[in-house]
Amino acid sequence: MNVSQRGAGVRFALFTLAGLALFPFIFHAIDGYAGLATQIVIVSIASIGFNFLLGYTGLLSYGHAMFYGGGGYVAALLLIRLMPQHPNLWLAVIGATLAATILALLVGALAVRLYGIYFALLTLAFAQMIYFVVEQAQDWTNGDDGLQSIPAALLPIGPYSIDLGTALPPLALGPFGNLSDIKLWYIVSALALCGVMIGMRALTRSQFGEVLTAIRENEERSSLIGFNAAAYRLAAFAISGALTGFAGALRALYDGSVAVESVGIERSGSLVIYTIVGGVQTLLGPVLGTGLIMYLEAVLSAHISYWRLVEGVIFVAVIIFLPAGIVGTIAKRFSGRAKDRALLAKSVSTGSSK
Amino acid sequence: MTAILETKGLGKSFGRFAANADIDFSVAQGELRAVIGPNGAGKTTFFNMLSGTTDVTSGAIFFKGCDITRLSGTRRVHLGIAKAFQTANIYPEQTVLQNCRLAALAHTQGAFALEVFRRSDRLTDVDALAERAIEQLELSGVAGVRSGDLAHGDKKRLDIAIALATKPEILLLDEPVAGMSRDEARKTEALIRKLASSMTVLIIEHDMDLIMGISDSITVLESGSVLANGTPAEIRANGRVQDAYLGGHSEAEIES
Repeated sequence: MNVSQRGAGVRFALFTLAGLALFPFIFHAIDGYAGLATQIVIVSIASIGFNFLLGYTGLLSYGHAMFYGGGGYVAALLLIRLMPQHPNLWLAVIGATLAATILALLVGALAVRLYGIYFALLTLAFAQMIYFVVEQAQDWTNGDDGLQSIPAALLPIGPYSIDLGTALPPLALGPFGNLSDIKLWYIVSALALCGVMIGMRALTRSQFGEVLTAIRENEERSSLIGFNAAAYRLAAFAISGALTGFAGALRALYDGSVAVESVGIERSGSLVIYTIVGGVQTLLGPVLGTGLIMYLEAVLSAHISYWRLVEGVIFVAVIIFLPAGIVGTIAKRFSGRAKDRALLAKSVSTGSSK
Repeated sequence: MTAILETKGLGKSFGRFAANADIDFSVAQGELRAVIGPNGAGKTTFFNMLSGTTDVTSGAIFFKGCDITRLSGTRRVHLGIAKAFQTANIYPEQTVLQNCRLAALAHTQGAFALEVFRRSDRLTDVDALAERAIEQLELSGVAGVRSGDLAHGDKKRLDIAIALATKPEILLLDEPVAGMSRDEARKTEALIRKLASSMTVLIIEHDMDLIMGISDSITVLESGSVLANGTPAEIRANGRVQDAYLGGHSEAEIES
């Protein structure tokens, strides 16, 4: 990696951190609240996981709720059953992420050889099976009632055990609310999102991402130059499932509860919508899409009862008018200009060299 | 000379239709072998079985004496069997160099590598392998061009360069000059002749000038079976081959 690439990486990290630091305050000014900001940041991680699979393998999963809700239930059960006295956030989240990864490897081993609608249907079928298991295993999951009152997990760092429910010191910020609206949960979640975005940026530029891109563009050629396409897709599916499970675990611990809907078909569908509205194959798109839709849902559903209809209209409008999603469309316009400039520069330089 | 690639009783059926039947075939190390035959003779099916893109119905394939009949095409590439396609099979969105770098990367890293943090742009062996393949096919002048924008002949040569960047021991070329202008075809012929000095080449082609000019030996397929084997002179003189071509195809192809 050369110096300018590293510089771009550092700039990206700083911009992301700055954006996430300002987000809850700006959010407050437009009627959002800090709790919702935290949820958006957490769910964004799941959308990024979903987007990685769709954007870099072309596989549209309609069952990512199995990882999201699955991660939530595993994290909750680890705390409730194994460490009710000493709830450790690290262990719960890592355990849930591992469980989601294993589930993704098992499901993926069967699914990644399928394409298009068959892949979508198989992932949907697996998610519905997981839903059924969660709903029926009442002794463990409380069935339809979900798991309430998950012990508040403590984040052990060195000798300290930090309660993430702790609020920041009060400081009035006018229209931007109060510093004390922000709990440590937001900071930890935002740092996690920032880490995931930096990791995703590196991943898509890595040798692994390069091969995935090649397989997506021409699988037949890729197989016949010696890449094992199925293995690459399985690895991508596992990474995607792991990220989504990680997000589901964080969400369950933040909410202090996990509902059966978190493994349901609507959750799978919402990740599809967030990602496509924001922009598939972009780094920022899934985050923006998640934020926009969750914000509109929270604000609009308080005022109008037919919010679902509005959400549907937004989705249809984006697909028809912005098929690359919001961020994708903007990025295309910019890169189109950059390409024009590059072409111009090239024709000028080759013209002068002749 | 030892056989590098061999088939015994190789057959492929699609339903009741036998595209290939009972093919015994052997090509020696370093040989330049042409596989010819009228349209529909089963040449491409035969190649697809050799490269591993089509399953075998009966018989077996041996590479350097090892049975590779059940190995995937991907595994065979790593053994040293590479193929260029009838219709140029490239990455149209990538540059010519990147097309070859991907093949070189596959060769150096293996079928799968979870290199999730390392970028490939510092792998000098990959660059060297890719650049060498590009030079060998005389594509250096267009190395930075998006390959989808190449002229037809350049695309065909890029496909060969991609195969070459996997460092094969045997190269399968499916109609490498099809659709090329006469000049391009002669240029490509010279390049293939040069490649053949350092590896085994198997070639399907309809261009009889090229076949008769560069082959060490020729295998003639007809209706999915081997009709004849021999040197270009022997094949030219073979009455059954002439009949097969006259019956199934234009006279000019074999006479020229």
